[in-house]
Amino acid sequence: MAGLIIDNVQKSFGQTHILKGIDLEIPDGEFVILVGPSGCGKSTLLNCIAGLEEVTSGRILMGDTDMTHAAPKDRDIAMVFQSYALYPNMNVRKNIAFGLEIRKMPKAEIDEIVNNVAKLLQIENLLDRKPSQLSGGQRQRVAMGRSLARQPEVFLFDEPLSNLDAKLRVEMRTEIKKLHQRLGTTIVYVTHDQIEAMTLADRIAVMKAGHVQQFGTPQQVYDDPANMFVAGFMGSPSMNFLRVEVGQNGDDYHVLIASEGHTYQLPCPKAQGDLSGYVGKDVILGIRPEQLTHVMPHVEEGEFVTKVPVKIEVTEPTGADTLVLTRINDEECECRVHPAEAGQPGEMMDILFNMDKAVFFDIETEDRI
Amino acid sequence: MTKSNRSKGIDYWLPKLVLSPTIAITTVFIYGFIFLTAALSVTDEPLMTIFSLTNPNIDFTFDFVGLDHYVKLFENDRWNGALLNLGIFGVLFIGICMIVGLIFAILLDQNIRAEGALRTIYLYPMALSFIVTGTVWKWILNPTVGIEKFMQDIGFTSFTFDWIVDPQMAIYTVVIAGIWQSSGFVMAIFLAGLRGIDTSIIKAAQLDGASLFSVYTRIIIPSMRPVFFSAFVMLAHIAIKSFDLIMALTGGGPGNATDVPAIFMYQFSFTRSQYDMGATSAMIMLMGVAAILIPYLYSELRGEKQ
Repeated sequence: MAGLIIDNVQKSFGQTHILKGIDLEIPDGEFVILVGPSGCGKSTLLNCIAGLEEVTSGRILMGDTDMTHAAPKDRDIAMVFQSYALYPNMNVRKNIAFGLEIRKMPKAEIDEIVNNVAKLLQIENLLDRKPSQLSGGQRQRVAMGRSLARQPEVFLFDEPLSNLDAKLRVEMRTEIKKLHQRLGTTIVYVTHDQIEAMTLADRIAVMKAGHVQQFGTPQQVYDDPANMFVAGFMGSPSMNFLRVEVGQNGDDYHVLIASEGHTYQLPCPKAQGDLSGYVGKDVILGIRPEQLTHVMPHVEEGEFVTKVPVKIEVTEPTGADTLVLTRINDEECECRVHPAEAGQPGEMMDILFNMDKAVFFDIETEDRI
Repeated sequence: MTKSNRSKGIDYWLPKLVLSPTIAITTVFIYGFIFLTAALSVTDEPLMTIFSLTNPNIDFTFDFVGLDHYVKLFENDRWNGALLNLGIFGVLFIGICMIVGLIFAILLDQNIRAEGALRTIYLYPMALSFIVTGTVWKWILNPTVGIEKFMQDIGFTSFTFDWIVDPQMAIYTVVIAGIWQSSGFVMAIFLAGLRGIDTSIIKAAQLDGASLFSVYTRIIIPSMRPVFFSAFVMLAHIAIKSFDLIMALTGGGPGNATDVPAIFMYQFSFTRSQYDMGATSAMIMLMGVAAILIPYLYSELRGEKQ
């Protein structure tokens, strides 16, 4: 097994720059997820790691070996594709064995590996079927089996779950995580689904327009986003962004919000950013819906919690919680409340603004303050 | 109410009205004549008697002779020569067309520049009729005006290429012309097949360590079996029916060296007036085409149902 170092990798197709200098250092055995919107370059980066695309500049190292210009087959990498990419003319057994046969492994050894992999993924009864006779989830397992059989140094997953239905996707997600815990192999996994990223990753690299915006653990990325893009991309429902004015009371800072004609001061914890340079100016307040709740006595006593009456515009029950859409500073703002506490559209409701985890962004640069 | 009824009536009758002449013509002139040909091949009745509607004493009693004509046909040396020629032509024409077409298709599939232009160039012979192809190749292969003369004129005085007048080799000139005409078409079929293959399959095989050659030989070509089957069927029936190309290129000659069943049938029916032999050979050709097309149609239609 080996770690992976991506050193200032750039990739251009003619005048189109897809990757504009990517630096990632992935220790041995880590599960890293590349996440970002369509066209951010995450799949291109994965293809570069696999050697399917030649990088324009920069280096790719596996362990201590420079693999920048190595052929895909010499990199000891296995990849699972979104479309599964099973060989349609071969049955499942041959699909799994193909890579081993190419490497001229003895027949008996191949049989043993295929049987072990099939047992691990519970596809023993499918070994003699053709890919066209399998369901989406079964194909997914076979595709994973094929990459497992070669026992590669690094696994690459290219949106492996996006062709599955919602229920199966959650099941396979858990299975991939179990598999990683069992094998401990380095995994680089591309997805555009931020829930997948949060649940699976040891670390997440959030990408946008050919740059890595932030590379950190799921909790870091969620609680401590580097900029407005990361904050808005991670989390569902997404973070509320409100344009607010910063005020000062002695040593303490607060931001001002308006709801239904009244103005409220929300005190800001110092740990969440130094607002001293912004007094009297506007900043973007980023606050997640779960920090805006119905009135709960034990929360209400918190130092940075303020009760604000708001007018309910729309309610969206999700079962566990109800999302209440309201208007703060003339911008839409979503709150997450207990279903029993949610009022009807048009009614007023008291919402607790908990600023413990609020984040602030510069209006110009959109970076964290 | 009346109006809507009437328009419904037109909607109902118009398609039937428009299609009925075609159906009538097809029934009489294709299926009717297939039946007459079949009848002619197992009876001993001169064709003109059957058709002379002006003759008041039409004799509708056929002398049924069973398979006599078929036995006679297969005892005919010229027919057996024609069958042998068809065998040589068919195997080489189909085989080489598929190989050439597949190679061109694979080369064109490598994301090369000007692919559209090249595709058109390879497909263009298909736009010509076999008569034109035959005539052009007759000039090219003619020793006194074509390649042989050209090579001798530029100094290779001992160069000979006279297959077209050599009874042993003439059938191979037909193969050359046929391949020139049809391999571009086969290439287009294969190219469409290749384009239908998910590119990530190729990537996956590369990561599995397969070379580009084994990606094609072990994965892509085996998974294009239906495409091969379609190409084979189309080429096979072109081969069995081949008539115009050979008429234009060699006229069946020299001697009978490039005789094929279609030419045999034409000459026995229309220049020798041996209608029984003509009809019998036509039936054999029909059976040959049917033997290829019926399994094909069967598998296609069954595929649609699934």
